[in-house]
Amino acid sequence: MEEVIVRAEELCKTFPLSRKQRRLEKTTAKKKVAVDGLSFTAKRGEIYGLLGPNGAGKTTTLRMLSTLLEPDSGDATVLGHSIRKEKAAVRDCLGFMTSELKLEKFFTPDYLFDFFGTMHGMEKDRIAERKRELFSRFGVNSFAGVKVGDLSTGMLQKVSLVIAIVHDPDVVVFDEPTNGLDVLTARVVTDFLEELRAMGKSIILSTHIFSLVEKLCDRVGIIIDGRMAAEGALGELCGELSLEERFFKIYRDLKGDIL
Amino acid sequence: MKLLGLMKKEFHRFFHDPRLVISMLLPGVFIFVLYTFMGSVLHSEEARELRVYRAGESVCTTVIEQVIAENGDKIEWLLLENEEEARAEVEEGTATAILKFTENFDSSLGNGAGVNIIYDSASEDGSYFYAIATSVFHKVGMLFDVTAETVKDSSQMGVDLMTGLLPFVFVCFVFTACMSVTLESVAGEKERGTLATVLVTSAKRSDVALGKVLALSCISMIGALSSFLGLAGSMPKLMGFSLEFLGGYSAWSYLLLLPPILCAVPLIVAAIATVSTLSRSVKEASAYTSVFMVVMMVVSLVTAFVPHIGDWVVAIPVLNAIVGMQGILAGELPVWQCLVGAGLNVLYTAVLVLLIAKMLTSERIMFGR
Repeated sequence: MEEVIVRAEELCKTFPLSRKQRRLEKTTAKKKVAVDGLSFTAKRGEIYGLLGPNGAGKTTTLRMLSTLLEPDSGDATVLGHSIRKEKAAVRDCLGFMTSELKLEKFFTPDYLFDFFGTMHGMEKDRIAERKRELFSRFGVNSFAGVKVGDLSTGMLQKVSLVIAIVHDPDVVVFDEPTNGLDVLTARVVTDFLEELRAMGKSIILSTHIFSLVEKLCDRVGIIIDGRMAAEGALGELCGELSLEERFFKIYRDLKGDIL
Repeated sequence: MKLLGLMKKEFHRFFHDPRLVISMLLPGVFIFVLYTFMGSVLHSEEARELRVYRAGESVCTTVIEQVIAENGDKIEWLLLENEEEARAEVEEGTATAILKFTENFDSSLGNGAGVNIIYDSASEDGSYFYAIATSVFHKVGMLFDVTAETVKDSSQMGVDLMTGLLPFVFVCFVFTACMSVTLESVAGEKERGTLATVLVTSAKRSDVALGKVLALSCISMIGALSSFLGLAGSMPKLMGFSLEFLGGYSAWSYLLLLPPILCAVPLIVAAIATVSTLSRSVKEASAYTSVFMVVMMVVSLVTAFVPHIGDWVVAIPVLNAIVGMQGILAGELPVWQCLVGAGLNVLYTAVLVLLIAKMLTSERIMFGR
């Protein structure tokens, strides 16, 4: 039986709405439900995709898994560590990459790699070893001494990636991993995700790009309005349909028209 | 290890950016240039001619004469026969001050000797004589009581530049130094999203808070030292006289000013860091901190105008440092006040660091919409 690495159970998250937000969203509700009783599991050596439109609750779910947000109710475990009670342990076995987490423009990739290695409690030798391995794998060596502020988008994405996994985590969480990347860098990232899977890591990614899910994910969960609308292995979930056709069928069944 | 790493990052950020280093050192240079210029405009080059009534004898008067002569000025000693008339002259400005020694002053040092200075603190010559006389008495070793009276009532009383306004001005410059680095490092990082990147690691929130406050305090102390040196260097010119003749008393007195202010720096940094953590942007944090600074300036000014403020002031953050410095500049060494004040400032800093750590765990504050 495959080992379950991440187990989310009945995760719920709401955000208070300010008066201005209520006016903009034309609602009288004082809270917005971002995630509503979401449960799923990710196993060792698989890529699990969270697919859904903007505002579905994908990023909130990933933020809860990475302990940046506290669920209102429900819990999730990462390698058996609760995201509510053992935050530091979760952070040490999880790498989180999202465009919202930025790197200081003043520093070089070389310096930041050492800094974040230290923040994860790694020894100097281990940091140096990981740096050699990852910088060479992603071609960061050529710009390791250039300030982050002077890097191109592709270079920056590579640096963010290597820093997110500096501590060699068992679980890697990616929020929209190929957004804004050129085709070459996007390919480097997708190849690396497959490589991580081959190494037995569990990867959870959120995306709204169907082709990316079809290319990479072993299993997929479709989230609509914070709820798990459908889940399963790609073949089981789609049947005769393509993922895109299946997604829109589920969406129409739940919400009616697309617009 | 992680705490050290966090501190090193702040140091690296500061010391590898020449613009930041220059901006931290520049206030000291500005203070020196500005105050030296102000001094040369305020004080005429003409020699002062002081007229001081004296009752009783002491060798201290010879030393006072020498210091005044060193500054290129003259003093005429007058025998005090009628104190009422002498006071009236001091009030009118025709006499500078009255100096009253107790009987057999020199032979009863350490045994009930005392001296009373009566002067007009609003008069430039009066303040000049008072500063020199108290410095000389301090040099002698303070084996006697020194009391001072001013001839005007409190509403007319001028503020002694040295003891009253100087600590306030100094604290303002130190506050500005703390503000420039702390706003950028805390509110700036929060605004840019780089603080959240650190929060995804297993570093404790308390380490992140303490690392910031400690490192930024060290950096701010460079600014404080720069302002201090600028101020100390420009003082003789600003005051219109030098105390060099007293063989380093002034330098020692200046050095005593450092501990109270250095103990206040971490507290100021922690307070600004708290406001910065609460704010969504540097702009917002800057607006809140400016209000905070104005409040501090107003409260600080009060101490410059209110003589003999109560001991309760040691419990007021930052103000305790100002009052401590005022005491030191007045020739006293308020040891217990300085120690209790410094201890309380460290305590307040620790409380603020814990508060920042708590705020770093709050998703409403860190990721609020």
